[in-house]
Amino acid sequence: MKYGLFIYENEAFYGAEKAGPKIEELVGKHMQFAQRLGAKRIGGAGLKSTAVATTVRTAANRKTVHDGPFAEAREQLGGFYLIDVADLDEAIEIAKQIPVLQDGAIEIRPLLGQ
Amino acid sequence: MNGPALERVFRSASGRIIAVLAARFRDLALAEDAFSESCLRAARVWPARGVPDDPAAWLYRVAQRIVLDSMRRDRKHDGSATEEISSDPGPEEIMMDDARVVPDERLRLIFICCHPSVAIEARAALTLRLVCGLSVTEIARAFLIQEATLAQRLLRAKRKIADAGVPFELPAPDSWPERLDAVLSTLEIAYAKAHEDAAGSGPHAGFASEVLHLTKLLAHLVPNDGAVAALAAQVRYAEARRPARVSAEGWIIPLSEQDPKLWRRDLIEEANRLLADAIRMSPSDHRTLQGQLQQVWCSRQSLQDAAPWPEVLRLYDRLLLTRDDPIVRINRAVALAEIEGADAALVELSHLDTSALEQFLPYHAVRADLLARSGRRAEAADAYARALALDPPAAERQWLERKAAGL
Repeated sequence: MKYGLFIYENEAFYGAEKAGPKIEELVGKHMQFAQRLGAKRIGGAGLKSTAVATTVRTAANRKTVHDGPFAEAREQLGGFYLIDVADLDEAIEIAKQIPVLQDGAIEIRPLLGQ
Repeated sequence: MNGPALERVFRSASGRIIAVLAARFRDLALAEDAFSESCLRAARVWPARGVPDDPAAWLYRVAQRIVLDSMRRDRKHDGSATEEISSDPGPEEIMMDDARVVPDERLRLIFICCHPSVAIEARAALTLRLVCGLSVTEIARAFLIQEATLAQRLLRAKRKIADAGVPFELPAPDSWPERLDAVLSTLEIAYAKAHEDAAGSGPHAGFASEVLHLTKLLAHLVPNDGAVAALAAQVRYAEARRPARVSAEGWIIPLSEQDPKLWRRDLIEEANRLLADAIRMSPSDHRTLQGQLQQVWCSRQSLQDAAPWPEVLRLYDRLLLTRDDPIVRINRAVALAEIEGADAALVELSHLDTSALEQFLPYHAVRADLLARSGRRAEAADAYARALALDPPAAERQWLERKAAGL
């Protein structure tokens, strides 16, 4: 089954630029992790901070463009993995191994159409 | 065989058959529907033709045919009848025909129903429905919710299990402790519901026996886990005291005032054996310690024996090391009051986060009693009023009203 693993963390942990030694260390961990996943990883990316996010909203068929993330929340989407594994238990096992900087949450969602 | 007798056969076969069907076809809703349909057919056929030697095997074979037929129909319907579904007997059937027993896949079913990804309030209901065969009406009554709400909750849980890809295999060994803990918490919630009704006369009557049965089944299926044995023991100690929990006048009797001669010795002995296993396997598990607390009380032979408060307080102190929560602290305060006095216990209670306990009846009931014993009558009356405002079951209400009136 294919799942998306969405990583939510408090952006304050990343710092304003999402750069620096802490982030480099985290990126290194992600690269190792992606390597361990091998063929189970079918996609994914880290995201720049919501400070550079742009949101297109549709209301009553009218599209408007806004600065910022779709919702102001303490924890924001910081990156995601797409994986192809046997079942939810395997997805949970993998989610538990995703490196996080400090506190955070990984949301596991099965992909549609399977 | 009459209606109620058929019902009993269906119910006792339900868990095993749904478990085998679910394991084989990997679809809970399909398994449940096929089993219900096979019961309907049995109710039509058995009264005329007689009950088969092994009713469970009959129900299983019919349910299985119903699933296979419906799968064939679906294939034909969507025109993709490429691969013929084999109706050759699978390993389960061969085993069944030889041994005339339906293989026991109930542990798998329990793990599926109690998967941590299933909403916690749905787990116990789903387990009682699928493993114990309770009807939606019975479960709704026991959980004091509308039938339609429960049906919706069960439907959502089954859909979640199917769509999220919850595995139908037993969990891998390294995730057993976490997964088993989810199962045990589910059974604890189910039993707490049954235990709330002290008189056993309310809608939970008969429900406690399902939990007794489930915990025994689990202890049998998972013989080498201390926490499982401990929970099975706890439920038995608690259930053993049921005959003494309510007075002739209909009010609840506190544990320390219950007549031990009324307690069920058979259940206590069974619990002692289970708890001995638990102490051997997991001596410091919080469920083992809670079992020991129950055992200390259940060792009492008569009201003339001194109440075991010092031992109870010692066990609560140990329990706090592994499970520090308001419920343990409130119970510990009760024991502390007996040894150091009500004032010391009130000081302990004052350290708790009261905002979280506003809706928690035992907190107000214990506090009211302690305040009364300290001579703080006005405050005690207020605490009793708060407890009563939370709508306790009848036996507990009468007891609280009596205490409040005696201030």
